[in-house]
Amino acid sequence: MTTLLPDAPLAPAASLTRPRRRLGRVARVTIILAVVALAVIIVSLWMGTVSVSLWDTLRAAVGIDTGTGADFIVGQLRAPRVYTAALVGALLAASGALMQSIARNPLASPDLLGISSGAAAGAVLCIYLTQNTSSLALAPWAVLGAMVAAALVIVLGSRGSIEPFRLIIAGIGIEFVATAATTLILTKIPDNIVPQAYAWIVGSTNARTWEHVWMGAASCLVILPIGLFMVRRLRVLEMGDDLAAGLGLRPGRLRFVALVIAAIAAGLAAALVGPIAFIALVAPAIARRITRSPGITVAASALMGAILTVAADLAARELLGSIQLPVGLYTSLIGGPYLIYLIVRSKGQFQ
Amino acid sequence: MSSAVPATEATPNTESRLAAEGVTLAYGDARVVHEVSLEIPPASVTAIVGPNGCGKSTLLRGLARLHSPASGTVLLDGKDIHERSSKDVARELGILPQSPIAPGGITVRDLVGRGRTPHLKALRPWQDSDTRAVNDALKATGLTGLAERSVDSLSGGQRQRAWIALALAQQTELLLLDEPTTFLDIAHQYEVLDLVHGLAADGRTIVVVLHDLAQAARYADHLVLMSAGLILARGNPNDVLTADRVRAAFGLPVTVVSDPITGTPLIVPTGAPAGRSIPTKEIPA
Repeated sequence: MTTLLPDAPLAPAASLTRPRRRLGRVARVTIILAVVALAVIIVSLWMGTVSVSLWDTLRAAVGIDTGTGADFIVGQLRAPRVYTAALVGALLAASGALMQSIARNPLASPDLLGISSGAAAGAVLCIYLTQNTSSLALAPWAVLGAMVAAALVIVLGSRGSIEPFRLIIAGIGIEFVATAATTLILTKIPDNIVPQAYAWIVGSTNARTWEHVWMGAASCLVILPIGLFMVRRLRVLEMGDDLAAGLGLRPGRLRFVALVIAAIAAGLAAALVGPIAFIALVAPAIARRITRSPGITVAASALMGAILTVAADLAARELLGSIQLPVGLYTSLIGGPYLIYLIVRSKGQFQ
Repeated sequence: MSSAVPATEATPNTESRLAAEGVTLAYGDARVVHEVSLEIPPASVTAIVGPNGCGKSTLLRGLARLHSPASGTVLLDGKDIHERSSKDVARELGILPQSPIAPGGITVRDLVGRGRTPHLKALRPWQDSDTRAVNDALKATGLTGLAERSVDSLSGGQRQRAWIALALAQQTELLLLDEPTTFLDIAHQYEVLDLVHGLAADGRTIVVVLHDLAQAARYADHLVLMSAGLILARGNPNDVLTADRVRAAFGLPVTVVSDPITGTPLIVPTGAPAGRSIPTKEIPA
């Protein structure tokens, strides 16, 4: 990346001569991602052990009565699962994008800052206290758990206002505590509901229903517009607190609001499918790389999150035939190496 | 715009818009600036100089509403700057802080465009007037031809000009710059200083924190010498920079000679590097 002769007129020829475009690269890539997301969703609805024609799949997927087996296979089994995966992926990626922006660090995400673990702890606590394992019943607890974790991260990560580096250190601490709490509560849960509760260790999209889809859709409808609304300010905040304040923004308040939104998004995602790892970390990083956006991108991140989660869910369903592994395992299998790649590639670049 | 030799007397024809009245600035319990009062003369360059840790950058941040005074008030147009909203102030006063972060891959035009932030609202998106402000800022900083280049690919001097262009796009009459020449080689330092001087000549009020005393003396209409959180002296650079004052502020024995080009004060240390003899005849009286 370093140029020996910074003044050399020929340095990066590509960016020198590229003319001004009508539609920016970010917008074009976002549109392409939307198309890819739709394609991945359709493929995932269509593929499976029971074969269904593409036409019936498409109709059943939007609730049209086909009078064939597709009504059940696609309409009741696959569609809720696939749609939930897409919506959860979008929520997680938006959450990660917000956190990476306010922490000014590509490693910040709800999983690494303890927010997802806080949500899991809240959900497991709910199962322990009420013996109820339905997502709708768990949702408030998961969101509450995420909020408590976020509040602790904010308090511990602030000195007057939130400081990006302190935030990450505090988050790592909370992550350990929340994970330990989840494990502790799991040991106290009656044997008969342990399998359901165990899904809170590794996220799973198994057996989702339309109830999950509606909850996910409502969550996205609230979270994503707020995230999009904040993008312009967050991009300025990424340039430094003093610069942002000099341009009339309030860095502390902005960071606080963004973190609360990110925590709610992560909590809702966790309530729907459990703590799916790495989507929140990887999706915004990939989105930023391929859009070459100078700063946070919420729309592209959300679409990338949907694509990755639906793809991982498809792999979880189909890759090993009859053995269905939880989707969180696959995202970890992709995300872990990616994280290592990020660190190896950017050695010395983390400020 | 880029006259190498600045005019020594700027005639302020309007009233001062920015002033500090008995301002004390502190980080926690550590007081950095002690009850400083200062009026910023309009349409000219005011340079703040002083040793490391003397509170010059803190004072600048205080003047820009980035740091709330522990006591005293900063007045913008006669009103307490902290009684006005951050956005309101940002339309009147621009500040370029030390080491802002350029987002990876951002173009010069995008970077400068972010200076329009205080003028944008949720329901008032980007307009032609914003594009015009950006184009004017690019032109004033000589960056029009580099507008579509990535900021990463610019030289240090060009990059600093891009940051100044961002502040210019903000379209404020008051412009505060915190050490804009740091990390630049000598040619780029003068490139930036010439630009700053030109801005004042166009009627802007500039406050700039500088490290190099000779440069400050050369380019400032008004010099503020700080030491240990206090203003030691202020006024015309020729009057402010005496050998005694510089020694008092920096603890360095110096003699002051006249800059052969501009006639402004030039600070020369009288101590010799260890082990080298001093040819005494060359020290001016």
